[in-house]
Amino acid sequence: MSDLDKAIAQLRACRPIPEAQVRELCHKARELLIEEGNVVTVTAPVTICGDIHGQFHDLMELFRVGGDVPDTNYLFMGDFVDRGFYSLESFLLLLCLKVRYPDRMTLIRGNHESRQITTVYGFYDECLRKYGSANVWRYCCDVFDYLALGAIVLGASNTLSPNPEQTDVSEEDVEIEVCNADGQIMTQFQRQSRRKAGKSPNGAGGAAVNGVAAGSSNGPTGAVPSNTGPPGSGASGASGGSIGNPAGAVLCVHGGLSPLIDMVDKIRLLDRKQEVPHEGAMCDLLWSDPDEIDGWGLSPRGAGFLFGADIVKVFNYRNDLSLIARAHQLVMEGFKEMFDASIVTVWSAPNYCYRCGNVAALLELSEDDSGLGIFARSNGDVGRSDGGMGGGGGGGGGGGLRSVLENDLKPGPARRYRVFQAAPQDSRGMPAKKPVADYFL
Amino acid sequence: MAQPEPDRTTDKKRVKVYELRNNDWFDRGTGFCTAEFVTIEEGQSGQEPRVTVEAEDSPGRWLLETKIVKDDGFQKQQDTLIVWTDNGVDMALSFQEPDCCQQIWKFIDSVQQTFQSVNGTHADDGLSDDLAIEMPSMIQLPPADLASLGDLETQIRIMSSTANGRDALAKSIMNDNYISRLIPLVEMAEDIESLTDLHKLCNIMKIVLLLNDTTIIEHAVSDDCVLGVVGALEYDPDFPSHKANHRQWLNSQGRYKEVVRIEDEQIRRKIHQTYRLQYLKDVVLARILDDPTFSVLNSLIFFNQVDIVQHLQSNVGFLTDLFGIFADPNEEQLRKKEAVLFIQQCCAIAKNLQPPARQTLYNNFLIHGLHQVINFGLRNFDVAVRVGATDILISMIDHDPQMIRLAIYRQIQAREAPLTDTLIDLLLVETDLGIRSQVSDSLKILLDPTPPGPPENRGELIAGQGRGQRQQTVEPQQEVFLNYFYENSAVRLFKPLLDLAGRTEMNFNVLNDGVFSYLNDILCFYIRQHGQRSKFFVMQNNLGQRFNQLLSCKEKHLQLVAIRFFRQLVVLQEEFFIRHLAEKKILGPVLDVLLRTMPRDNLLCSACLDLFALISKENIRDLIKHLVENYREKIMALAYIDTFREIITRYDHSQGYAAVEPYFLESDDEVSTRRPTNPGARGMMEHLAIDPTEDEYWNTSDDEENVAREAPETGATPNSSTAKPLVEYTSDDDGEESADAVMTSTAATPSDDASKENKEPTTPGSTSGTATPPERVSEKRRREEDEDDALDKLVHHKRRNSSAASSNSSISSATALRKKKNFGGGRDVSPNGHGPKKISITISSSIKNAAVKAGAEEEGK
Repeated sequence: MSDLDKAIAQLRACRPIPEAQVRELCHKARELLIEEGNVVTVTAPVTICGDIHGQFHDLMELFRVGGDVPDTNYLFMGDFVDRGFYSLESFLLLLCLKVRYPDRMTLIRGNHESRQITTVYGFYDECLRKYGSANVWRYCCDVFDYLALGAIVLGASNTLSPNPEQTDVSEEDVEIEVCNADGQIMTQFQRQSRRKAGKSPNGAGGAAVNGVAAGSSNGPTGAVPSNTGPPGSGASGASGGSIGNPAGAVLCVHGGLSPLIDMVDKIRLLDRKQEVPHEGAMCDLLWSDPDEIDGWGLSPRGAGFLFGADIVKVFNYRNDLSLIARAHQLVMEGFKEMFDASIVTVWSAPNYCYRCGNVAALLELSEDDSGLGIFARSNGDVGRSDGGMGGGGGGGGGGGLRSVLENDLKPGPARRYRVFQAAPQDSRGMPAKKPVADYFL
Repeated sequence: MAQPEPDRTTDKKRVKVYELRNNDWFDRGTGFCTAEFVTIEEGQSGQEPRVTVEAEDSPGRWLLETKIVKDDGFQKQQDTLIVWTDNGVDMALSFQEPDCCQQIWKFIDSVQQTFQSVNGTHADDGLSDDLAIEMPSMIQLPPADLASLGDLETQIRIMSSTANGRDALAKSIMNDNYISRLIPLVEMAEDIESLTDLHKLCNIMKIVLLLNDTTIIEHAVSDDCVLGVVGALEYDPDFPSHKANHRQWLNSQGRYKEVVRIEDEQIRRKIHQTYRLQYLKDVVLARILDDPTFSVLNSLIFFNQVDIVQHLQSNVGFLTDLFGIFADPNEEQLRKKEAVLFIQQCCAIAKNLQPPARQTLYNNFLIHGLHQVINFGLRNFDVAVRVGATDILISMIDHDPQMIRLAIYRQIQAREAPLTDTLIDLLLVETDLGIRSQVSDSLKILLDPTPPGPPENRGELIAGQGRGQRQQTVEPQQEVFLNYFYENSAVRLFKPLLDLAGRTEMNFNVLNDGVFSYLNDILCFYIRQHGQRSKFFVMQNNLGQRFNQLLSCKEKHLQLVAIRFFRQLVVLQEEFFIRHLAEKKILGPVLDVLLRTMPRDNLLCSACLDLFALISKENIRDLIKHLVENYREKIMALAYIDTFREIITRYDHSQGYAAVEPYFLESDDEVSTRRPTNPGARGMMEHLAIDPTEDEYWNTSDDEENVAREAPETGATPNSSTAKPLVEYTSDDDGEESADAVMTSTAATPSDDASKENKEPTTPGSTSGTATPPERVSEKRRREEDEDDALDKLVHHKRRNSSAASSNSSISSATALRKKKNFGGGRDVSPNGHGPKKISITISSSIKNAAVKAGAEEEGK
């Protein structure tokens, strides 16, 4: 294992490892990933991260803010590569950490973990430059095919773990806490009883959109605590409900939902070892976006769908989920909760493309001490398919839908967002691509 | 240019004065406009040009009093509008009459002309009269010395913030040769170690380059300027403690490899220039590059490359020398290697050329002996050379596979070892992943008998659709080639698989076990494309059993390969393969794998479930029957999973001794989830009413099948198929047609079918009219230009993976199969698919608004 530790050290210094070592790493990773289901079960505590996009130095900043790897459990929701100039180092480091600490790292696939996309958006090019051949890219693409498509976080607590930076212990009904990179609390939101007509999803969405516009001026520090929540949490606090029912799980997926997937278990039936297809369930999971619409809509991306609040709520109800965490879309504040906090977008690439001026965030879910929330969910669960859950699904029809939307949503787990900015410019050297060495033409 | 006499206008022109405040045009009031030279007071000599507006309602109050100075950027817009910037405020005059506007503009314009002639620049004299209106005024930049760097930086930063300013700035910089004047400053600042000056220089240079002016960029990478320019950019104020080493990199000799001397001075210069442009794009400016500059750089690079390649390919002497390198046995290995890499780079550039130009290039290469280069390269011990040679080969295949096929045909005629055999040998021994996957791709494309057709038909046709016709159009040469391949090469290619026969120990070399995955890919492709030949090959060599052996090795990724192969056989839904699967009892071991792994939820388990779900969903009765009759216990053990319960129910139902109700309940449930391409109706929204026609289809389907399908296919013995072994297309079509016959009474031409269905809304086929999903593909195409990150942008990269994607994508294939059923043999899913498309337009227009809105809101990614 010392070889692996050496590789980790080298990659942490942002130096690529030799091709032979990449091959070995990828083979080990393959053995590991093949044993994972399409939906990996992860238990809280866990820190959930969104897109990285080859911004190596910001990934290091992420580890600084969120805690280093064996100490903190991480779940990365894909899009490790492309756009930034250090896709290779970023992905290989994550992969090394995965192989070194398999239980503490979860990597799921993003739409950029694909041959087609990476040939256009930079990763292919980067491998070609850094190794002189595309072999490393091919090894990595082979690993992409084995990455899980989603994850389920179980046992997330309804109360936040104490914040080490905070001396006065916060009250137990804090639902959302937003911290800056140094761990200082910027805003807190208490759990509230459900507001019936207080805010329509559209209104909440509007507020969030405004927040996006304002966010470009001053980042997270400009956020003023107010009734409508900080930018990025348009519907904060609205997911109240009874406290102390930790059974709801959190589904993590890169893009979003698929019209072909009404149950999480259906994801398990996909043969995921393939290039991301252009349509179908697997494609949708990696490409879809939530949007302020009713039902399903065509996605402007040309792949996946748009889905509205009703879709999310029914899905969450049916699958006993309290929250869907996804990435895939740039949000200026680093995170954005939508649809009465039934879905959240987490974005972890600060100053995206080195010029978007956004901040990044990671989402911490803490562990529930009671242990009530943890039960295995797999195809092997007798009774899951012909008993309780199936009945729940069947009951969702007709008048059931209304009750779903109004009453039966799971309360969201307590969420701590840590917002951080791009790594200081000077710590990273000038980001640049590696030039072509020799030329004939 | 003669200065026109200022037009002193006495009659006043009615005008509204606007001022831009907070992005809104604020109305200052209405008045009468005058433009004239006003004598400056306090004894100064001369006059100054002014535009004034006197308020209409209170004469004597001036709404506007502005002096025309040279960089206010006056512009006339439309007929009645003059806009300019007055001390940083955007102003506009809106005239009531176009004539009045023209008169005032004439005055302003003449004054501006004067400014230009004072500066001594008549650059645009030739076109001045028309263009002068749009032309920005010239500007005077501060002198290029260290002392005025601060001024300079501020000034150009301000200028570069408006479109007019940028144009003017770009002009001045080129006219004054400003870049060359800045360059010495870099060394001066370095000498006195003035970091602040260097930072200013860097900022200035960045702004200048990002002005995005082709001439400036070309000038910046010229021999004279390039080192100075990148020198300035080495001191980036964003990284105060760093210094880049661009000059050192670009200055080092020997980066340029000249395999054969290029005599033309200008072309050589272009080669260097292109390299520098790439360096600018990738390294120097990479972080700050905006999209316009990025495309300016790219197009400069592109046009240079076109010129270079055009020059080389028409230069016979050069080509003779180049390819002569390979003919000379005494030539150094290194020089041969460099020559291969040189040709590789030519081919890479050629990919961007227009097809005719590319064709000429390849033709010229071929005439001079490109084949021999590929042969030399593929067998070379140096991996870089092999990579180069495969790259060259691939780019030619990409361009025109038929060209290479014909070459192979000639090789076969001449009884030489064909290129395919070389490729096969390489595939089996090669350890380089890249070469292996490219060789595997070439083996697929070269043996693809499909004549090039409309792209949507290529590689996306699944199962038997339309393949009958394709077979007939195969050219005779292609026949010879395919015959040769199956007689001689196929055994060679699939040797690792065939060698598994009789082997009990399944241990593989880690380096080489990847070969199975490639062989599976290739075989799946051949099975889809080659019809009978591949069937015979699979049967003769008992390949199903061979793959089955892989199931017993401990490497899970090899087990996956086997499952993938079986899945392909099932997807085809061809009786031949279905029977092969059943007769060889191939699915039993797959069930064992599932039982073995089942408590765990891993990739292997998902792959198996996917396979059985496909069988159950597509209701492949032969296989369901085979499974239940042979492995009932195993399936019962798995019956807690929906899929397997369904398989048993389906079997029991088809045998007629199960309660009917549960079956219908299930199929109803399915109906709601089985329309994958209709975003509105499918999925979890079961509160939506189930489409009545669809419902009817499901209720009636069994009767039909009893008549049309059950009898010949799952009846006591499939006698129709045994009567015609191996001729599966016709038998397949026969089956479909007899089903059609029941529905529409006469099997007719596709168009006939379609019209009939329109008239008879109750026939099952007509569900296509009401429940047809929007045609998403066409929808996608329409939007493809707008989307930064859209998948469709990748269309030109698609080919290499398309076959794999289509074979892998369970959903698309399942959809296709379903269509085939619904539409009666899929024949009315004509290439231009009239029915679905019309519907798609009406549906999509309503959704589009939402989509557009969403696109505007978020930067896609």
